Amino acid sequence: MDVGAISSRGLSRAFASGPALVDLDLDVGSGQVLALLGPNGAGKTTTVRLLNGILRPDAGTATVLGLDPWADGEAVRRRTGVLTEQAGLDERFTAMENLVLAARLRGFSADEGRRRAGDLLERLGMGDRVDTVVQGFSTGQRKRVALARALLHEPDLLFLDEPTSGLDPSATKGVVEMIADLAREHGRTVVLCTHFLGEAGRLADRMAVLFHGRLQAEGTPAEIARRLWGTRRTEVDLGHAATPEVVALLARVPGSEAVEATDTGIAFEADERAVVADAVATLVGSGRAVFGVHTHEPTLEDVYFAVEARALRGDDAEVTA
Amino acid sequence: MRAPRTVDLDVVRALTRHDLTAVRRSPAVIIPILVLPLFLLVLLPLSIGIAARNPDMSVDRYLDLLPGRLADPIEALPDSERLIVLVLGYLIAPMFLIVPLMVSAVLAADSFAGEKDRRTLETLLHSPVRDRELYLAKLASAFVPALLVSWVGFAVFAVVANLVGWGILHRVFVPTGRWLVLILWVSPASAALGLGIMVRVSMRARNTQEAQQLGGAVVVPLTVLAVAQASYLLLYPVAVSLGVGLAVWLVAIALNARGAALFTRDRMASRL
Ligand SMILES: Nc1ncnc2c1ncn2[C@@H]1O[C@H](COP(=O)(O)OP(=O)(O)O)[C@@H](O)[C@H]1O
Ligand SMILES: [Mg+2]
Repeated sequence: MDVGAISSRGLSRAFASGPALVDLDLDVGSGQVLALLGPNGAGKTTTVRLLNGILRPDAGTATVLGLDPWADGEAVRRRTGVLTEQAGLDERFTAMENLVLAARLRGFSADEGRRRAGDLLERLGMGDRVDTVVQGFSTGQRKRVALARALLHEPDLLFLDEPTSGLDPSATKGVVEMIADLAREHGRTVVLCTHFLGEAGRLADRMAVLFHGRLQAEGTPAEIARRLWGTRRTEVDLGHAATPEVVALLARVPGSEAVEATDTGIAFEADERAVVADAVATLVGSGRAVFGVHTHEPTLEDVYFAVEARALRGDDAEVTA
Repeated sequence: MRAPRTVDLDVVRALTRHDLTAVRRSPAVIIPILVLPLFLLVLLPLSIGIAARNPDMSVDRYLDLLPGRLADPIEALPDSERLIVLVLGYLIAPMFLIVPLMVSAVLAADSFAGEKDRRTLETLLHSPVRDRELYLAKLASAFVPALLVSWVGFAVFAVVANLVGWGILHRVFVPTGRWLVLILWVSPASAALGLGIMVRVSMRARNTQEAQQLGGAVVVPLTVLAVAQASYLLLYPVAVSLGVGLAVWLVAIALNARGAALFTRDRMASRL
């Protein structure tokens, strides 16, 4: 039976400063890429630390790769790789030396460590900096070395905590492409923590949104959108704002809701695609020119900002299945 | 129970070797741990020894102040030999408590608190290294160099002392059996004590600087205490050195054991 890569119930942890994570119920299937979204201080890093068994939960349970991360932390950590927010490389050592230490700590011989590290650094575009001391590296170069370190032992589960923070746009693009490759290969499970939505939208199968330590929404963007809005919004370009008669006309089309005039035409919501066809037929049949029809497929950004708005309103009901 | 039952010595060795290499590459660490012993164990004895060759200086009034029969081994010597033997053969002893204490304290601060500054601790916590392995490696990487420095320092000191004294004594007067007890038993205890103090301090401190300040507040009074109280250590019967060593060992072991109990992943991850 596939128990999934991660499953948590009621997972909670507080610090002296207050709760960092509250009652987290989260499931991630094997091979999925989950975007764990939320602003700074939302509880993303705390979640990773709990799931990798370096923090003890105050309450709740977690199963990671079939094991309890706090009780069997060592076994869990043998199979996970973490790219921490701070690359955490020893500045006084070369990229290779940093990686060989990590390999030795995972039970590889120094030779095997060097071989794996060399391959990965090459692959991550750091082939020419292998024996350079980390001190002079840019943030992007550090992230690459740290990513190589997280991958040395071919982990089944990869936690990437803010992998693109501090990177310039071109380095961001490079890292995002690398992560996309990593996620595709051997059906590896990836948890990607970020407050940048662009990269999450490109990479993730599912998203989970945290605010103030609470899970606000979880699922694919489309699933969450349906739960949030129930319907999909369609905008029709009529070349000018719709008159009240046109609004009334569309309101009579079965299944159309929230019909309203817009600057360039008319908009309505519907939960069936057929309603869109009926609406267009009605408009054309009544002699109106239709220049364009756009049915809004919600992006991860739309969903995120809608969830954020709900959270800020204090609407606590979680948007999950 | 979460306490690991075994320790993988390969892992401990890899971590220790890494830390030792790091120390060699850190001027801020290597300079104090070389300069301090160079000054206290070589230059200080050298200059005292040269001054002590002055035949006009008599130590008789000082010897009268010593309680009981402590002065006996000195009074047994000809007048010309008394000063240099007293100073370099006996009174220099506290330096061999101070040097290991301070060296291990500096190294422990770097290895425990410095890890926090360098932000390398989180990565170690996310690795499969067991808490106990990490702790042992940290202890070893401060304790082993502290011992090495005091032992090499002692060897150099012995050569310097005998060279300086040769013109007067025409014989080797350091080390004696009591010196060996001091160096092999009391000095290591002192290194362990410095370690125990800094381990506890570093866990509280947010960074190396704070650890050094807090640690200094404990270590400096201890060195004053050592100078004030341990000067006669070699004049006392050897049982006294053995007893002092044992007492220091017990305190050091208690501190380190408490440190080990507190050195858990959750505690460390909560203070990242
Ligand atoms: N070790 C800690 N000690 C005290 N407070 C902490 C600690 N770790 C996290 N927090 C607090 O918990 C909340 C969640 O933090 P974190 O998980 O780091 O969020 P994120 O990674 O989403 O930015 C924040 O308010 C943070 O200040
Ligand atoms: Mg974070």
